Amino acid sequence: MAGTGSAHLRTGDDIVLRVRDLVVEFPAGKGQVVHAVSGVSVDVAQGETLGVVGESGCGKTTLGRAVMRLQDARSGSVEFRDHELTGLEGSELARKRRDMQMIFQDPVSSLNPRRRVRDLVREGLEIWGSQPGPFTDARVEEIMEAVGLGGEGVGERRPHEFSGGQCQRICIARALVMDPEVLILDEPVSALDVSVQAQILNLLEDLKADFGLTMVFVSHDLAVVRNVSDRVMVMYLGKVCEVADTQPLFDTPAHPYTRALLASIPGHELGLSDASTLISGELPSPIEPPSGCRFRTRCPLATNRCAVEEPELREVAVGQFVACHYA
Amino acid sequence: MATVETNAAPIPEAKSFAPERPKMGVVFWTSVSWILLVIAAAVLADLLPLRDPDALGIRTGEIQRFESPGVNAWFGGDGQGRDLFAQIVHGARPAMVLSAAVTLIGGSLGVLIGVVAGYVRGRTDAVIMGIAEIMFAFPAIVLLFAVGAIWGITMAILIPVMAVLAVPSYARIVRGVTIAVAERDFVDAARAMGASQSRVVIKELLPLVALPAIAFGFLGFGLVIATEGALAFLGLGLEQRTWGSLIAGGQGLIREAPHLALIPATAMFLTIMAFNYVGDGVRELIDPRPIVVGRKRRADGPRPTTASASDALLSIRDLRTSFPTPGGVVTAVDGVSLDVRTGRTLGVVGESGSGKTMLLRSITGAFPVVGVQREGRVVVDGTDLLSASPASRSAMLGNEIGVISQNPLSALNPVRTVGSQLVEVMRVHRAISKAAARARAIELLEQVGIPRPGRRVDMYPHQLSGGMQQRVTIAIALANEPRLLLADEPTTALDVTIQDQILRLLASLGDEYNMAVVLVTHDLSVVRGWADDVAVMYGGQIVESGPTSAVFGDPQHRYTQALLESTPRLDLPIHSRLAAIEGQPPSLVAPPAGCRFADRCAGADERCRSEVPVLERLGSVEFRCWHPGQGEAR
Repeated sequence: MAGTGSAHLRTGDDIVLRVRDLVVEFPAGKGQVVHAVSGVSVDVAQGETLGVVGESGCGKTTLGRAVMRLQDARSGSVEFRDHELTGLEGSELARKRRDMQMIFQDPVSSLNPRRRVRDLVREGLEIWGSQPGPFTDARVEEIMEAVGLGGEGVGERRPHEFSGGQCQRICIARALVMDPEVLILDEPVSALDVSVQAQILNLLEDLKADFGLTMVFVSHDLAVVRNVSDRVMVMYLGKVCEVADTQPLFDTPAHPYTRALLASIPGHELGLSDASTLISGELPSPIEPPSGCRFRTRCPLATNRCAVEEPELREVAVGQFVACHYA
Repeated sequence: MATVETNAAPIPEAKSFAPERPKMGVVFWTSVSWILLVIAAAVLADLLPLRDPDALGIRTGEIQRFESPGVNAWFGGDGQGRDLFAQIVHGARPAMVLSAAVTLIGGSLGVLIGVVAGYVRGRTDAVIMGIAEIMFAFPAIVLLFAVGAIWGITMAILIPVMAVLAVPSYARIVRGVTIAVAERDFVDAARAMGASQSRVVIKELLPLVALPAIAFGFLGFGLVIATEGALAFLGLGLEQRTWGSLIAGGQGLIREAPHLALIPATAMFLTIMAFNYVGDGVRELIDPRPIVVGRKRRADGPRPTTASASDALLSIRDLRTSFPTPGGVVTAVDGVSLDVRTGRTLGVVGESGSGKTMLLRSITGAFPVVGVQREGRVVVDGTDLLSASPASRSAMLGNEIGVISQNPLSALNPVRTVGSQLVEVMRVHRAISKAAARARAIELLEQVGIPRPGRRVDMYPHQLSGGMQQRVTIAIALANEPRLLLADEPTTALDVTIQDQILRLLASLGDEYNMAVVLVTHDLSVVRGWADDVAVMYGGQIVESGPTSAVFGDPQHRYTQALLESTPRLDLPIHSRLAAIEGQPPSLVAPPAGCRFADRCAGADERCRSEVPVLERLGSVEFRCWHPGQGEAR
């Protein structure tokens, strides 16, 4: 669990984004290092939504930020349409990055409170040198309409005049105005109420179809991920546990951690044993992660082998890859 | 004097959360007027119909030597009969010029340096702040003495020296603000769109740090005036006539002619105060959102206590909780009645603004806002908490009633060990020795599933993980074996596997201690999994309640149906379209006349909009809906 390997990477022309052996570490003082992402590989095909799930400290957010190059990776590669992004700097990076946009968890904090909605949405175009004018205005208008922010005077208002759900619409509009191919969404609905969450999830599905988007959807909420994703990757303590198409992952979870996660959903009817029998104890420190399989300290199946030998991802069913010696 | 526009609080449009601009008081506007007056004096001194400040009154005979203030000379005259009023008006100019120049130059430099240090961080920041610290430590007055001794004190010398001395203060304040702002997501969002560093600084950060810097600038402005006065007093005055030099000149004559020192001193004092007040006022304008401060427990008037008729441990009847806001009186809980029996867990579920948290707080009386009014009855074990004396109420809280809050870290005292907090809550409510309380504390920690409790008991909260911290707050809530446990979003801050552990723990403790539990949550699945009964709240009211299986299995109220249908479910196909509830929750200041959900309800008709639905009962389920039970069963 919590293993490495790239057996699950696919080949083909329709792979938009490919991450290979990505390692991200943060200094933690006194010469120590937080192992946030430790050798993660994953790919996303054109028009696909990849769900990335796991609990806090699993590295899902760091992965998204490293793909966007908001975070520097220590090693590994990020390829966008077969172009290597990891080595790029400055304007070249910025140009490539334009095709990928990111949506953050806290929509209110993502918007500069002093600026008007229209200026916020237009910002990306401005950064890319579009002069204010009829063309830009029309584009901004069109996108705002598409995310449900049409209407007289909306553009003139400031973020604090809007609810959380509407602020997230503004953030989505701001990303879409750049006409990206890939949208990386980091917990985009977890700050929202259920009814508003449903609005945003529906909106994202519509936009995905209308704009031909490819998405990476990072979330801790399994039910939400299940509903929006075509393929799901489960992470634990910086490692990949399991990658599979959504249906098999939820129907026949193979990794012990995946099973524990699913069994922890309150009131689920998935026919799993109590979560308390599937996972024990607490998350180990990412500064000194366990040897071998990182999940072994909490795993009911763990043996000595798990401490010595790190499991690699292998295919246990068609399209279902698991990093566990005993899956 | 300027007047304040008082917007007669328009009823906030449902989707608009626009706050009121804080109203500035009389002091602020008086201060602004005073500053404008001083500036006018500085600018217009030469044009005003004043006496020549240098004309010697004893020669012209216009003003006597040391003439007292009066009709002839408003502020009196000095030893040569010069008009003090004219001198003060003329003396305003150098003070204003000096302060303005120092504040503008020092302030701009400081802001720039502060933004760069706060945004770039790392070594640049360390070097800049190191230099700033050294400058802070350096005695400014000694430097000014040295400068004065070498070059003499002139505007051209004083402005740059004082500006440089002011830079570190601005830099430090702005750096702090920048660090706080730069952590917000919009900075990342701008970078993700490809914005350059300089663009981030200029477009995103500067506008946000400008206002705090300006607020500080006003304080700095006053400080420069005071410093100039102090320098003049020490004999290092400017060659121009300033308030400082007038005070210095008058101080030796304080017995003979007190007005010579007192009047310019008063002018200086008022000016400095005015700048300070305006600075404070500007700071209040900084946050565009309304700030509610203060924490107060309301002492309600006496009311007859009536024991609850039912066998419920907690019995709430017609509870109405309201508090004033700038937009009007918000009735957060509006006519709620419910019962919780011993051994049962009631899940109170609703979206933000539904009133679920205020309902819980109405039981304990701890509110995050001031001026909360409660009406109705909240009876716990036969005692009406709303009419009970403060003493008997606090005897119940922490004793018969245990509380668990959403954020364990804020519920725990960070500078005290887990053990001492547990011991305290026991010793407040019962006669128990320290040693016995400590033994019980360890036992409790073990009971809530904390491994090695003998060691953990002496740890501080920050040494524990979030899940462990929440276990500690549960242990504190249980310390006195309460009969009623109130939990407000106890697992919202926790991961799903830890949430499972905590909810499992609460369920088993509820059985073991035979408690009545109220579990407030926004998460339907938490209620589905862990509550015996559910109360669905919307717009401050309970719209549907009953056993969880019955309510979730066959929801009657249209809102309950919509809420369930908008939640992603594990048993529906992938990419299912969710039934989003369009629109926004109703205003709690002026709620809709009929059913509060009518505006967002697909099945609403005229009656729903005009008539409040009556309480209906179907089996064990109660609800308020004119068109119930027409959703699909789930």
